[in-house]
Amino acid sequence: MDTLTPQDLEKINSEAKKASSDWIKVGMSTCGIAAGADEVLQTLKDEVKKRNVAIDIKKCGCVGMCYAEPLVEVKIDGLPPITYGRVNKEIAMKIVEKHVCGKMLVNDSILEVEAKG
Amino acid sequence: MAVYTKTVLLKDTNLAQEDRTRDFYTTFLQKLGESSLSELVQVVRAADVGVYNQGVVIKVMPDNVMYAHVKDSDIPRIIDATIKEGTPLVDLQIKRAGKQLRIVLRNCGTIDPENIRDYIGVDGYLALKKVLLEMTPEKVIEEMKKSGLRGRGGAGFPTWMKWKFARAVAADEKYVICNGDEGDPGAYMDRSVLEGDPHSVIEGMVIAGFAIGAAKGYFYIRAEYPLAVERIQKAIEDARSCGLLGKNILGSHFSFDLEVRLGAGAFVCGEETALIASIEGKRGTPRPRPPYPSVKGLWGKPTVINNVETLANIPYIFLKGGDHFAKVGTATSKGTKVFAVTGKVRNSGLVEVPMGITLREIVYDICGGTSSGKQLKAVQTGGPSGGVIPAEYLDTPVDYDNLQKLGSIMGSGGMIIMDEDDCLVDIAKFYLGFCVEESCGKCSPCRIGGTQMLKVLERITEGKGRIEDLAMLKRIAFAMQKASLCALGQTAANPVLSTIRYFEAEYKEHILNKKCPSHKCSKLASYTIIQEKCKKCGLCQKQCPAGAIPGSREEGYTIKQDKCVKCGQCFEACKFKAILKE
Repeated sequence: MDTLTPQDLEKINSEAKKASSDWIKVGMSTCGIAAGADEVLQTLKDEVKKRNVAIDIKKCGCVGMCYAEPLVEVKIDGLPPITYGRVNKEIAMKIVEKHVCGKMLVNDSILEVEAKG
Repeated sequence: MAVYTKTVLLKDTNLAQEDRTRDFYTTFLQKLGESSLSELVQVVRAADVGVYNQGVVIKVMPDNVMYAHVKDSDIPRIIDATIKEGTPLVDLQIKRAGKQLRIVLRNCGTIDPENIRDYIGVDGYLALKKVLLEMTPEKVIEEMKKSGLRGRGGAGFPTWMKWKFARAVAADEKYVICNGDEGDPGAYMDRSVLEGDPHSVIEGMVIAGFAIGAAKGYFYIRAEYPLAVERIQKAIEDARSCGLLGKNILGSHFSFDLEVRLGAGAFVCGEETALIASIEGKRGTPRPRPPYPSVKGLWGKPTVINNVETLANIPYIFLKGGDHFAKVGTATSKGTKVFAVTGKVRNSGLVEVPMGITLREIVYDICGGTSSGKQLKAVQTGGPSGGVIPAEYLDTPVDYDNLQKLGSIMGSGGMIIMDEDDCLVDIAKFYLGFCVEESCGKCSPCRIGGTQMLKVLERITEGKGRIEDLAMLKRIAFAMQKASLCALGQTAANPVLSTIRYFEAEYKEHILNKKCPSHKCSKLASYTIIQEKCKKCGLCQKQCPAGAIPGSREEGYTIKQDKCVKCGQCFEACKFKAILKE
């Protein structure tokens, strides 16, 4: 990347704030990876590709709910951001199939807790 | 595709054994079908709703109303009022108090730690821009003073003072070091910050470098954190290629660069003088202070050493202003603290809370109480340098000074929850054993004192303790506190002293009656078979590694006390609770 000027910083910042697409985030810190986040991330990527859905899949750090890793957070248009905990391969497939493609939340995995303060 | 106008999340928040979530879910769906709303409302079973032991909890979105202790009979009126009309039912409603406040962890779990643009997108490096283009180093230190930020590594020394001392010394070179040698058992706040938001720590270091006039900084991270090291290294490279590290940062006259140094995993290297020795390539042993590192540190030059969490606070302080930061917290402790809550707790993980919150709020409101449902016995804070806080002090507001008054310390943020099944003598032995292992051996109070205290504790847990031992433990502890060279030795006895202070009766039970009240100390336990309950299945005999359970399926079984090695395997194996553990 080229050297940034103070103006570039402002520009990147305001562009990022405008962007509001759909996304899936997977907690990929040590706690997440230890609980199997690698496989979950790969499954999500495969499923999304298989179903030809346009959605950003990002890795992120640990949000603090280490007891419930692997964590997957999903934001799609029309629904609030939803966090799923203790996600495994099967749940990851359901997340893409039901939540991302059908706007239906997946049972028994949602963590509706105030972790982000 | 179904388009729902409302979403109902539900969950039984009582203990898992009596979870009624599924039954309630079925009833709710049925009632919803009767009012022909099934097409418009989606009902979902949640895994966790952030409140505990409050019966069935439901949350209706997008209204964001929450109801607790919901009965089946409440369902029709919830459907009629809240779902159809959008009116909340006041008698059922609860408000979840937002107890957490995220400053240090503001970006953890939100941004991609390996993408510098993500960080810039959440106002990353804008604090640095403000500092470099609009402020003088003196003003930076002034702002830090206003914020009242104290070091998050354990001792709680005001950060601005460290910076001011280092700035005041005239020297051709100065250094900034990030102390990422997190070693307390059960503590991993720094690892999460380094892994989840590496750029905020880098930004904090550059600002510190500008404030004291340093051109070079070191990350000291323990080698046991490979992912943290990888992400920090990537972040440093990215920042360098964007000109946020290196010469003339953001077109200013300020140049600063960073390097990573790995710690080989010695606990004592978290002590600042030992850490400096380790970076210099010497053996990681502490040296007497003064001179403090801010006067004579790395390579004999003025050096500021700040902890990871301290540094992660800094960009926030300059974005929002020192005064704004100081609004959070207590009179002497400003801002928030991240705790790694582990042990016998329902939700273990990281919490970030404003200073001044009570331990009870952290353990019960945020973390959901004990995992066993049993009574909480004590909370251990501050790792091997800290102490235990018994349950009766749970309502103490958490800050540096209050914890110290209770005989513990804030420390780096490890918080271990203990319930009735934990033996405090055993806990004290564990922590002291840790310090004995990790003692560098340079000074004799720590090397010999620690070992002798450990021997006494081992004796007590084996039922060979003498009543004079308590006084002896205190005497050695006092000598270690007074005469040890560094904080490791000075504080190593704290867990022992604080457990004696609050749980002396438990020590006496071990010494006088040769009993461990929580049955944790295996040498003091005895196992016997309750013949009335025994079904003669023979499982205990199969499990016993010592051949101490003779008998047959016809005649029944007994435990030979002289052969028993007290491993407890028979106790675990018995399905009929026919083995008595005393």
